[in-house]
Amino acid sequence: MSSRYANTWALVRLNLCHDWLKIFLWIAGLAGMMASAAAKFEGIYGTPKAMASIAQTLKTPAMVSLFGPFTATPPFSSAVIYGAEMMVFMGLFAAMMNVYFAVHATRAEEDAGTSELILAHAVGRQSPLLAAIIELLMINGVAGVLEALGLQAANMPGASATGSWLFGLGLAAFGFMFGTFSLLFAQMVSSARASTMLSYAWLGLLYVARMGTDVKNPALTWWTIFGWIEKMHLYTANVWTPVWLMLGLSATVLFGAVALANARDIGAGLVEPRAGRSKASRFLQGPLMLLARLDRTSTIIWLLGLFVLGAAYGSIFGTVGDLVQSNPMLAKLLGSSGVAAANRAVVLGLANTLVVIFAVVAAVPAISTLLRLNTDERKGYLELLHAAPVSRLHLFLSHAFEAVGVGTLALALGVLGMGVAGNASMTTPISLARFMRGFVGYWPALLVVCGLAALLVGLLPRLQTLIWVVPVYGVLSMFLGPMLDFPKWAERLSPFGWVNAVPTRAVAWPTFARMTALGIGLFGLAYVSYRRRDLTMN
Amino acid sequence: MADVLTVDHLQKKFGKFQALKDITFSIHPGEVFGFIGPNGAGKSTTIRTLLGILRPTAGRATIFGQDAWADAVSIHKRIAYVPGDVNLWPNLSGGEVIDFLLRLNGQKHSDRTDELIKVFALDVRKKARTYSKGNRQKVALVAAFSSQADLSIFDEPTSGLDPLMEEVFQREVLALKQAGKSVLLSSHILSEVERMCDRIAIIRQGEIIEVGSLAEMRQLSRSTVRVTTQQPLTAIEALPSVHQFKAKTPTQAVFSVDAEALGDTITALSQLGITQLITTPPTLEDLFLRYYNQEGGKDEQ
Ligand SMILES: Nc1ncnc2c1ncn2[C@@H]1O[C@H](COP(=O)(O)OP(=O)(O)O)[C@@H](O)[C@H]1O
Ligand SMILES: [Mg+2]
Repeated sequence: MSSRYANTWALVRLNLCHDWLKIFLWIAGLAGMMASAAAKFEGIYGTPKAMASIAQTLKTPAMVSLFGPFTATPPFSSAVIYGAEMMVFMGLFAAMMNVYFAVHATRAEEDAGTSELILAHAVGRQSPLLAAIIELLMINGVAGVLEALGLQAANMPGASATGSWLFGLGLAAFGFMFGTFSLLFAQMVSSARASTMLSYAWLGLLYVARMGTDVKNPALTWWTIFGWIEKMHLYTANVWTPVWLMLGLSATVLFGAVALANARDIGAGLVEPRAGRSKASRFLQGPLMLLARLDRTSTIIWLLGLFVLGAAYGSIFGTVGDLVQSNPMLAKLLGSSGVAAANRAVVLGLANTLVVIFAVVAAVPAISTLLRLNTDERKGYLELLHAAPVSRLHLFLSHAFEAVGVGTLALALGVLGMGVAGNASMTTPISLARFMRGFVGYWPALLVVCGLAALLVGLLPRLQTLIWVVPVYGVLSMFLGPMLDFPKWAERLSPFGWVNAVPTRAVAWPTFARMTALGIGLFGLAYVSYRRRDLTMN
Repeated sequence: MADVLTVDHLQKKFGKFQALKDITFSIHPGEVFGFIGPNGAGKSTTIRTLLGILRPTAGRATIFGQDAWADAVSIHKRIAYVPGDVNLWPNLSGGEVIDFLLRLNGQKHSDRTDELIKVFALDVRKKARTYSKGNRQKVALVAAFSSQADLSIFDEPTSGLDPLMEEVFQREVLALKQAGKSVLLSSHILSEVERMCDRIAIIRQGEIIEVGSLAEMRQLSRSTVRVTTQQPLTAIEALPSVHQFKAKTPTQAVFSVDAEALGDTITALSQLGITQLITTPPTLEDLFLRYYNQEGGKDEQ
């Protein structure tokens, strides 16, 4: 092995030692979710009638946009339906896991200065990158095998060994591919935060692209990369071509990443940081403006990203809300006014699901701003601020305001993008105010999630990252809940499950008031615990 | 005039670990107060408690007559602080940080600020992520000196600075003193403290073991005497105030002597016919090492 890669295995061991718990939790979560969903499927979709009806649902453009296309032909089996429902969704989670570990093993180490320490030893310059690649291969390999074994153990009717292994290993290849994208991005930008942002922007872009092609022209989905996972045709044709494509692209991307890594210095990105201002702008006054300045770039990306996501979904409303096209009988059955009402109901139903997605996505920048109160403290950034005449209340409120403000704007823009683009694509528009019900209805849920985050920040600073469970569970119960027949209480575990079906229904103002009060109360409690404690929590 | 800062039997526990056991001292107006002790003695913990970042477990600290925990905000209007480890927001330039910190204290970027940037030779346009430790310290120092606070608190401020910049730092501290401001300077660089501080507190394992001016501390300590006499020195070795007696020849010796007995010892020596005599007052380093080695009842090094 050349000296550039010296001691790579020692690094791999070191990484695995550090991260084994996180790796275990991710893999157990993914494989466990797949196996338990598979085990439950037969009970829900056991009868041909149930299968025919879910197949009908999955064929509607609304469902295609969320879960990918449903191409199987009768007779259906549980396994076929399972494959169609789970692949896109599991692909998202596998990609998220890989983004996390790819950034964690490369850029995050550099940010923390650990790389510098390690590279001073007999470790090759490229060893950290190679170690990260090996770590990702291992994680995905183990995850893929366990997922396949889990599916085999669940033994759904209609499941074949080939299909189960294709699902498991395909998911592994898919995840690894997104891991390699992140490794590439990590070489291009100059911080862990930026690498993660870029990775998610890329993931989001591909996801939205596949949604567009799936709804309008599935043949084009081959070009969206993300769509490859759908082209495996699980438990029907069982096509392996996408797996080879994923591995091929991964190799190409890795080649690029290694080349870039060779060309740059440790700790630097491709782009030299520009010289900054010699004096602060007039607006940089006080902690709130400071936060706004620090978050400026990421705020713009989030707001724009949500608007684009909303608009992308809105742009398929024309297709979604055209039931006659997928079912010509309907026109005769319902008459033209009946069809219009049914179209409207379908669009509003999809809008409800989408608003939950927007709310969860909008919660991400809000939560990370709140967590900053402790993470920036640990990094020592706030020490100079504490010595200035800035009260803890002021500092706390600044974070709360920035978090809720950005979250609110992001949610509003998502809904707005959906409404505007939706109306542009539909023949009979739905008023923007109607769409905005979704925003008003879900806003208090966002507030409650922020309040919970703040409470953890104030009360249990060491465990604050646990808050991410809330949005993840929110997506999970929203995507899988209806499919897996979650009990009512399980849906209501997350604040996103407390809101009624806006914008189909009107905003339930009593719920709105209760949730808003709860959110404010949580913030109050959070402040009381924050005020009374030591700030430095190493 | 009332003391600028008083610390009264301050204690701080982190869980079970008692970082501060008993800290008591005060700073008079217009003085430069040195706070010395080995690594991990509790200097930074004391300072963080003074700033209201940590909550005292027992005892009390007041600054300008106000409680350091409860009245932190109004106290902070009149103080400046430079931590030992300055960490800055990576995406801001040094200039932005300086202006921001000044504005927090209701002040503006002044001619004085520009002058400080120049004497500290700081490139303010660079992003904080590219600064070295010393440069980050300079950013905080420029903001601190520029704010002309009534009390400045420095926690090992020169640990990342080169000797040239240390000079600049010392000059600026003396300028503060001349302007009648008070300074708390925590350090383990004894020469720095010796040169600048009016009074000193020595802290060890969370306890203040001595407070006073350097002169007073010298009084409490021993001078080193090198002497050559005409007659043998045997009688001197037996004196109770003489320690560590080492004879090279019967008429030539080095020993240390308690400060209060120095006069008597010299009288005794002169009776033996002094041909050469050098007495050296204890350096801060001697003091420090002596206090530090007191652990376990050992008095000598
Ligand atoms: N947040 C904390 N939690 C636990 N122990 C701490 C914390 N901060 C400081 N300590 C401990 O308190 C002691 C005093 O530390 P410190 O005040 O930083 O020393 P100094 O500044 O004199 O070098 C050290 O033993 C240190 O490990
Ligand atoms: Mg210290």
